[in-house]
Amino acid sequence: MDERDLIARVRAGDGAAERALYDTHVDRVYRHAYRLTGDDELARDYTQETFVRAFDRLASFRGEAALGTWIHAIATSVVLNGLRKITRFRRRETDLAAADGVPGARRVAEPDLKQRLGQAIEDLPARYRMVFVMHDVEGYTHEEIGTALGVETGTSKARLSRARAKLRVALADFAGEWRT
Amino acid sequence: MDEPNDRFAERLLEAAREYHQPPPTPRDEMWTRIASERRRRREARRLMVTPTWLAWGVGIAAVLALGVGIGRWSARERPAPPWAGPAAGDVALAYHLAATQHFSRTETFLTDFRGAGLDPRFALSARQLLTQTRLMLDSPAADDARLRALLEELELVLAQIAQAAAGDSAERNLIALGLEQRGVLPRLRTAIPAGPGLSTQGAL
Repeated sequence: MDERDLIARVRAGDGAAERALYDTHVDRVYRHAYRLTGDDELARDYTQETFVRAFDRLASFRGEAALGTWIHAIATSVVLNGLRKITRFRRRETDLAAADGVPGARRVAEPDLKQRLGQAIEDLPARYRMVFVMHDVEGYTHEEIGTALGVETGTSKARLSRARAKLRVALADFAGEWRT
Repeated sequence: MDEPNDRFAERLLEAAREYHQPPPTPRDEMWTRIASERRRRREARRLMVTPTWLAWGVGIAAVLALGVGIGRWSARERPAPPWAGPAAGDVALAYHLAATQHFSRTETFLTDFRGAGLDPRFALSARQLLTQTRLMLDSPAADDARLRALLEELELVLAQIAQAAAGDSAERNLIALGLEQRGVLPRLRTAIPAGPGLSTQGAL
């Protein structure tokens, strides 16, 4: 079944077509959400919200981009908004804990490459982290990233370049070891 | 600058591919939840469909409001009567907005709690949210049966989190299971309208 037929059947309320559409795109959406959150529950929540929104809004899908690209734009928006809310909440929580004399939950990174890299990626500003993870970790093209984030392709490239530069600085002490 | 141009960058990319390595996609579990959430939203929309008589009523009210507006405009030279406080509708709207903001904060808190263990920070925040929930329950916001039921559900969950012993993973799991079984998060999300954040500023 081609994509247009599938969309038409979903719009007509065909449950099997809804499941087929979900099965086609769910892996990539879940992986995307998991890579950005590092948390199974959050990734599930964001994936579910993405598909609920996608089904609700499918009537307004005009086919200007591929359906997958459109769904990924929704997923990116859901994840970004969700992470922003959580970041704001955690910041407030940490402030409250500090004011209350409760030790904060900030983890101390171990001198292990994976840990250090993970921490360095998490410390990137969100706009750089998103592009780095999408491009270098998940293999999205700059065109796809541009569509998902609503930015120009050049902006995506510039952000990737800045992200790599920042990681290079953060992991500079591994540089000598890696050259050998 | 698309391709790494040195060994360091290559190794960086190799290591980065292991960043947050996803587990297998829990397809069926998520699909069950999506189908249930869609049913819930459809039902909520069905209940919110405006009956014809109400649509006519709103139309008539709009015409009356326009008439009153024109009347006030044409008589604007006269001295204004003393202010008699906010209209009842404005107050109800303000409480409704405050409840929605409270739901939004609580939803974020519970989402965060579910993904982490019990620690003192959660108890502290739960106590604060619990106080706000109880204030909401005593306010006109709780006159709406649907909001009251949700607020009562939150009161129970937040009280559990506030009283749970830090680091007790069994207790945390029980609370998370309760959240899941009673569908608290989906109900909260349904109660929070989509779109830009609401603000009570100027409503009172």
